[in-house]
Amino acid sequence: MNVKGKCECGAVRFEAEDVRETVHFCHCSQCRRTSGHQWAATRADNDKFRFISDETLKWYASSEIAKRGFCGTCGSSLFYQVNGADHIGIAAGCIDEPTGLVGGKHIFTASKGDYYDIADGLPQVKD
Amino acid sequence: MKTGHCSCGQVTFQSEGPWRDIISCHCEECRRTTGHFWAATAVPTEKLEITNNAGLKWFRASDFATRGFCTGCGASLFFRMDEKDYTAIGAGCVDDTSDLKMVEEVFIHEKGDYYPLSEGLTHSEGFSYAWKGEDETQ
Repeated sequence: MNVKGKCECGAVRFEAEDVRETVHFCHCSQCRRTSGHQWAATRADNDKFRFISDETLKWYASSEIAKRGFCGTCGSSLFYQVNGADHIGIAAGCIDEPTGLVGGKHIFTASKGDYYDIADGLPQVKD
Repeated sequence: MKTGHCSCGQVTFQSEGPWRDIISCHCEECRRTTGHFWAATAVPTEKLEITNNAGLKWFRASDFATRGFCTGCGASLFFRMDEKDYTAIGAGCVDDTSDLKMVEEVFIHEKGDYYPLSEGLTHSEGFSYAWKGEDETQ
């Protein structure tokens, strides 16, 4: 499946081929802080992913093992990548519709917020 | 008093409230900014104390509102409409949400195509009464 996407202000644009069809919803404390709620992502191999425009893209080292890419102009939380990985996580909300994506599973649910329930029937992985 | 912060700590805040219950917004703007959809509580702007604004940047998101995010980590912290006297705050950035609950989903006609809405919550295609402010709920 091929996708195109962009941040809120349009300064960061990308396209990717053969992205994973399923979206993983992440409830870890980092994703909850950066998104303001929870983050959702598909992924693509690095060699199937291309920036159309990335002048405003900034990378934040969110842990010792990974970094997060966001737009320095509008703050959109676009990407997640484990250091040295051959693939990149792409925010589902930044992909142009129709996305062709479907829900896959919830991850890091042990860290989920206490103000919402997960009740969509998808598998839940605690960590 | 509740406190909160972004992921990297370059934006911190606190407020005595009152803290509004949480509303999730599915408009395209919120979805692009957060990478999924946003969920926010809110406090009167005059009651919001930003205790560290080193990373804070306000982005003019539309002709009536701005969004506050952290330039250090990209966290989606705040949303403020020009003519309103409250500031919406990303629930995921608040340290203690144990007395707050999700009550409504708004702009549902712009929701993403890869997830369902939550059952049992009030649904709206526009701003809710709470988003408009208590003065307009009469």
